[in-house]
Amino acid sequence: MISVRNLNHSFKIGKKGKEKRVPVLKGLTFDVPEGEIVSIIGKSGSGKSTLLHIMAGFLTPESGEISVQGIQTSSFNEVESAKFRLDHFGFVFQNFQLMPGLTAFENVELPLTLKGISKSERQKKVKDLMQSVGLTDVQDHYPNELSGGQQQRVSIARALITDPPIIFADEPTGSLDSETEQDVLLLIQSLNKTRGITFVIITHDDEVAQTADRVYRMHDGILTEGGVQHAI
Amino acid sequence: MQFRDQISFVGQHIKKNKMRVFMTVLAATMGTAFLIVLASVGFGLHETIRGEVLSNRLVTQIEVFSSEMHEEKVAELKKRDHVKAVVFRQNIGTEQQSSIGNFTGNNPLIVTDFIEEEKANFELQEGRLPEKANEVIVGSNFAEYLMNQQDENKDGEFTTYDGKLIGEQFIYQVGDNEGELIEDEMMLTIVGIGKKPAKDWEQDQKIYADASIIPELEKIYYTHVDKPADDHSDAQQLFYGNVNVYADKLENVKAISTALKDDGYSVYSISDELDQLDVFFLALKAGLVFVGTIAILISSIGIFNTMTMAVTERTREIGVMKAIGADPKLIQRLFLMESAWIGIVGTVLAVVISYGVSIVSNYVLPIIVTAALGEEDFGDMTVTFSVIPWQLVVIASTISIGVAMISGWRPARKATKIDVINALRQEL
Ligand SMILES: Nc1ncnc2c1ncn2[C@@H]1O[C@H](COP(=O)(O)OP(=O)(O)OP(=O)(O)O)[C@@H](O)[C@H]1O
Ligand SMILES: [Mg+2]
Repeated sequence: MISVRNLNHSFKIGKKGKEKRVPVLKGLTFDVPEGEIVSIIGKSGSGKSTLLHIMAGFLTPESGEISVQGIQTSSFNEVESAKFRLDHFGFVFQNFQLMPGLTAFENVELPLTLKGISKSERQKKVKDLMQSVGLTDVQDHYPNELSGGQQQRVSIARALITDPPIIFADEPTGSLDSETEQDVLLLIQSLNKTRGITFVIITHDDEVAQTADRVYRMHDGILTEGGVQHAI
Repeated sequence: MQFRDQISFVGQHIKKNKMRVFMTVLAATMGTAFLIVLASVGFGLHETIRGEVLSNRLVTQIEVFSSEMHEEKVAELKKRDHVKAVVFRQNIGTEQQSSIGNFTGNNPLIVTDFIEEEKANFELQEGRLPEKANEVIVGSNFAEYLMNQQDENKDGEFTTYDGKLIGEQFIYQVGDNEGELIEDEMMLTIVGIGKKPAKDWEQDQKIYADASIIPELEKIYYTHVDKPADDHSDAQQLFYGNVNVYADKLENVKAISTALKDDGYSVYSISDELDQLDVFFLALKAGLVFVGTIAILISSIGIFNTMTMAVTERTREIGVMKAIGADPKLIQRLFLMESAWIGIVGTVLAVVISYGVSIVSNYVLPIIVTAALGEEDFGDMTVTFSVIPWQLVVIASTISIGVAMISGWRPARKATKIDVINALRQEL
């Protein structure tokens, strides 16, 4: 599904004139197989988010190749990359990243609006999805009127609404208590089972990583496979 | 994203910042209204002066000068397109005198073609047109120019003729080439009186006669003055002619007069005067629009600030939209639409307000000015202070909306350049 080949990236740091290049990703090569939940675990600052940003097309890598469903995405320009994201990716962030001025319903609707889908079709799709993730009761609430867990459900629903083959999640449970964390992880697992969506979950928490089908460990910019695991 | 969704998206953002957007719209409105009202004064003055020029004269008249004018040329002129009438008036080039009893005057005699005169709006106030060689029509002020030089009234002025005119006979004499009156007299009968001229200050004391009078007058004249050796030395000619061509409509005056100029005639018409006037006022209006544009530019600083703030405030939201997959061009368009909206609403309000100001000032200012200058100075002149033609509305709207979009351009560009990763890192 996603294949990463010999990916390198470094950041420039320091003042102008005395910049230093700090390598963050050092020759990563790995695959994310279709229909699996893959987690990338590593210490803070190990480069997990940077890897996700490059896979998602927010950042152009220094070198290396990435292809998604056989399409070379690492050579896309900004516009192509945006279009590709809209059609193929969903995103779940640690701090939810909902639009404060839109209701839960409208937040979920947003990707469809961007795709230019008609109002009536949008309404129907969002309504169905809100029901299946248990958000119907709070659909008219604004994000600041929702609990953390509810907000993360809304943001998962937003990631799902376009039926993307892949959802990227950067610390999806990082801001949640352990009980809500379990809820969200179960939701991810059930979506993976019922809809066959591939998940790439970034975490620093071993417990979260346990729920994945495949775990990669990030250490000093190098990725090693931690073996396929199966949660109960 | 569908266009209607873009509109409602922009609408939501505007609603969220009502106060700020309102102030920006207000500034745009004031700038645009200032431009329109200022320029409307130029349009108003132009209309006023044009109206004055047109009302003082027969607007369709074209004066044609030619060193030798004769019937054949006149006939040729009559055949031209859009020519309603060609009046060939022949004036007498020497001294002349009319007298009834003790009253004498130097009223000029004009030989003309009454059929053409009538086509060019010559009308009688009383009586009929001449039928015989010695029958004439006199202008409405004819009698006032006949004075009794032996009789003064109490103001020390000579008394003027106040007897009846129609049916009266008077003695008419021409002078020789040295200005001495020739003793041979002609008895002319008044059969009609011309209509009063349209303008109060115009006077018509002339005597109008038919061409059939020419042989008799020339006979008298040339028995005392040598006939010119060739037709070109007009010094000794009794008659010299001038021709007025009348166009059917004002719009055609220009075409006719250019055609005449091309054929070598010297021509003067109102369109020449209007051309100069129009050039002058075009420059004036352009100057006023320029000054008004400065006001719009000042208001555009407000739009620039508002849009820059909007982009900064929404950095995280823009980042999320880009992360989800919004096209950078779409984001740019949404912000441009917002600044265009400010420009459009500002312009619409400005147009409405300007029309209001224009109507009120046209009503109030004449009252104030009349009070200040005194009735007489202002009396019959209709002054329009402010006119807003649709062209001015179009020009002002284009400038205002254009400037709004230009000032929204940089903030909108800035929005598209927002880095997704940095934007997502921003705290709520
Ligand atoms: N824009 C940048 N400029 C310079 N250095 C950067 C930039 N972004 C990240 N880094 C550096 O790259 C390294 C990896 O950062 P990254 O955010 O990928 O870590 P992470 O594994 O996601 O950590 P965390 O678990 O805390 O989120 C860090 O050392 C960070 O300082
Ligand atoms: Mg991170």
